[in-house]
Amino acid sequence: MMGSTAGWLRRAIHMLRRSIAVRLALMFAIAELGGFALIGTALVQVLDHQLLRHQQEEVESRIAGMRYLLERGRSPQLASRVREKIDTLAETDRETRYWLWSESPDFLYGTDLPLVLEATRRQPLGMVSLPLGPEGRPMVVMGVDLPANERRPAVRLMAGIDSLSFAHTLHTFKSALWAFTGISVLLVAALGYWIARVGLRPVQRLSTQAQSIGPGNRGQRLQSPALPLELANMGASFDAALDRLDAAYHQLETFNADVAHELRTPLANLIGQTQVALARERGAQRLHEVLQSNLEELERLRAIVSDMLFLARAEQGARANRLVDASLAAEVAKTVDFFDVLLDEASMRITVEGDAVAPIETSLFRRALTNLLQNAIQHSPAGSTIAARIARQPDGTVEVAFSNPSAPIAPENLARLFDRFYRVDVSRPNSGENHGLGLSIVKAVAAMHHGTVFARSEGGLTTVGFSVAGADVRAN
Amino acid sequence: MKVLIVEDERKTADYLYQGLTEQGCTVDLAFDGIDGQHMAVHYDFDVIVLDVMLPGLDGFGVLKSLRAVKDTPVIMLTARDGVEDRVKGLRDGADDYLVKPFSFMELLARLQALTRRGRTQEATLLRVGDLQVDLISRKALRAGQRIDLTAKEFALLALLARRQGEILSKTVIAEQVWDMNFDSNINVVEVAIKRLRAKIDAPFAQALLHTIRGMGYVLEVRCDAVPSGEP
Repeated sequence: MMGSTAGWLRRAIHMLRRSIAVRLALMFAIAELGGFALIGTALVQVLDHQLLRHQQEEVESRIAGMRYLLERGRSPQLASRVREKIDTLAETDRETRYWLWSESPDFLYGTDLPLVLEATRRQPLGMVSLPLGPEGRPMVVMGVDLPANERRPAVRLMAGIDSLSFAHTLHTFKSALWAFTGISVLLVAALGYWIARVGLRPVQRLSTQAQSIGPGNRGQRLQSPALPLELANMGASFDAALDRLDAAYHQLETFNADVAHELRTPLANLIGQTQVALARERGAQRLHEVLQSNLEELERLRAIVSDMLFLARAEQGARANRLVDASLAAEVAKTVDFFDVLLDEASMRITVEGDAVAPIETSLFRRALTNLLQNAIQHSPAGSTIAARIARQPDGTVEVAFSNPSAPIAPENLARLFDRFYRVDVSRPNSGENHGLGLSIVKAVAAMHHGTVFARSEGGLTTVGFSVAGADVRAN
Repeated sequence: MKVLIVEDERKTADYLYQGLTEQGCTVDLAFDGIDGQHMAVHYDFDVIVLDVMLPGLDGFGVLKSLRAVKDTPVIMLTARDGVEDRVKGLRDGADDYLVKPFSFMELLARLQALTRRGRTQEATLLRVGDLQVDLISRKALRAGQRIDLTAKEFALLALLARRQGEILSKTVIAEQVWDMNFDSNINVVEVAIKRLRAKIDAPFAQALLHTIRGMGYVLEVRCDAVPSGEP
């Protein structure tokens, strides 16, 4: 039994958490209950007060009648006259009782006299409720002291009326109030639920619209302007999220197309060359050359696939793990050393400025530096000077950048430098040197070191670089 | 060198067999994990080339039962570039791994590195024809003439001379001479070789430093004056 109650409660709470309409209905009901309780209490108070006053007036009028007789009665047998009068009254009105008390035994009247006397004396001005009615029903009783006059001694006159009908009235009123409250709370809850359902209909519509958006109709958006004010913002946010996803999806699609395109050229060369070679009888020398050429193309394919796999791994969240604290200037020097012959051939010079120690995976870091420097050399005129700069940033990361003199690059192109297969110089696609993944790899390496990439073009200098976390992020 | 190749892909196994045999290795083949395990455990090899994805029993299984018995160097081949694969392979006792697609030259270099590990004491004076490379005084002489080399040029020549007759890929050269431990498509090695060749070969009648197009470079004495494949 306990278990099923708990289960029901859990289901109810679950429902409450899940459904806005149920929650709203419940809140309406609680508000309604609060309002009714307030008004109901006030009404009961007023009624109670009125009923009391009414009872007081009733008792007072009874006392006034009898008092008149006691004060103005001229009869020498006043005592017996009064008793007769009370008896007659009691005959006709069974809901009223009188008591008389005096020093003189003539003016003693009524049963339970000591009780009534005691009770009314304790409450000299007001009424007191005593269970003295027929069948012990409650009575409200008041008492008044009449000073002695020439025909009688001092007398205390007390009268009571049956208060059951008043109590009954109050009780009926209260019951009715409870019933009305209950019904109206239920009604309000039901109405509230319905209103909430109606009010939430646009949300349902939104949901249906959202459900209809898929890969087939990526362009479709929620009709935000048609939405109610409260939902318009949410719709707009949702649309913006869709836009971003769409852009990413689109990028992925173009990326796939790019990959296919990049692979197509070497594959076409391989197939074509091999077919041509096999179409005729060839000497060993010629076949040898074809194989060598094929090998070059295959190496190109392998390099693309390896780099793609590397990028994919970085994108899946791979992080540099064999971290060692290294001087970045020393790493740059090593890379510059690697490029020494190329720089010498192009009569270029490199200056290195700054240093910082950061945790890096050296092979990854060198790969990024190599790609950056290669990029700088490729885009600099012969004889120019390339500047390498290493600087710790205020946020603790360390930036490494190469600046080389070059024609200005438009901001929209700068942003795309790190895109895969992106080449500023479109006229030089597939140059054997570079398959357009170099800077993407820099970006991946930066991400693997919890860093970012950046590119600037100002004052005839193009600066491309990346940052790495200045301290071992995993340690935190 | 006795090599066991455990590889279910027939084409791969065939070219590895031919390539390694021609490099002077004795090669045994197994086409599934069960055979591979049996051969690896019951016969002695200098090195084992083990594919990860195998029918019957996968590479890790083979490696595990092998390691229970002996420490034959193992190089694993995997088509998946997953970090998990790598970690698992190395923890279970593989000595090295290669991710497909790999180049044959790369595999050869790794195999040689694995089997060379134990070898000590190398010659300090190397000779290739009339070229002498003195690793201690860091001097190179050809036909008695002193050749003036930069430090990197000497390191490059020393590497080629130490492994004369062996084709060294650009990747291996970049790694050994410049400590650049990754594939790069940069023509640094080409230019460096060109410069070295200008110093050690150009003034002399017989070329010693040969380009094997698409594969790498080799330093050796060749009998035919005009070797095929030279650019």
